[in-house]
Amino acid sequence: MSIFKMTCKDVYPLISEEMDRPLSFGARVRLKMHLGICSLCEIYRKQLATLRSLARSLGKEDSRITETTVLNPETKEKIQKFIKEKI
Amino acid sequence: MSEEILEPEKWVEQYADMLYRYTLVRVKDPDVAEELVQTTFFAALKSQHTFAGKSTEKTWLFGILKHKTMDHFRAAKKNINLDLSDPEGDSIQFDPMGHMVPPPNNWNLNPEKAVENKELAQVLAKCLNGLSEKFHRIFVLKEIEGLSSEEICKEFGVKPTNLWVMLHRARNQLKLCMEANWLSKE
Repeated sequence: MSIFKMTCKDVYPLISEEMDRPLSFGARVRLKMHLGICSLCEIYRKQLATLRSLARSLGKEDSRITETTVLNPETKEKIQKFIKEKI
Repeated sequence: MSEEILEPEKWVEQYADMLYRYTLVRVKDPDVAEELVQTTFFAALKSQHTFAGKSTEKTWLFGILKHKTMDHFRAAKKNINLDLSDPEGDSIQFDPMGHMVPPPNNWNLNPEKAVENKELAQVLAKCLNGLSEKFHRIFVLKEIEGLSSEEICKEFGVKPTNLWVMLHRARNQLKLCMEANWLSKE
């Protein structure tokens, strides 16, 4: 297939794969050529990058993103009791 | 610098919710997350003598939780086959010209700055929960635990090509879910 005839459908898996492994030289060229002329795929690429940075911040130890989520009080009590017995 | 000490009687009050939230981002099932937090406290209690006081109590507890979570992932390998044996199709559609339908929404966000948007991250947490067990696990291992593709393939018996396909599809589902839940409010 000519690289000038490549559609978004042909290219978009490469946008995700590039995040997980180094692409071959040919694939890199195809992707770059397409991104140069396709603003929608560039938007898609930014969306995936945003997902990645959001996921990383969500997974941090000090993340306060889901701070309304708390451990069940009964479970807390059970653990507390267990700890008291053991120390 | 003074050495850190352990105060187990304060653990639940100080760390239980924090550890639980951290776990609940990684495992879908709240019961499993709860169990992992309990196991962590019990294991910590048992191995207090190994605490050298070089790190903070919090870091030490998180260290134990991380081990327990990875142990859980390894043990669950038998139940969740992470390879692409039962393929879920791609949720992105294309028109006959090969263009995405609907076209991707411009989120108008700098990916690095997006993390400051708490509401957006909350939508991601919700969308993440909507993924199948398999896609959820794969996405967590790669994007939240930060394991390399090689590590995931080796540790969980996934073929590299399948891993890339699954990550791609999981990301597409998340992207569509984010568009439906967050951007629709704009």
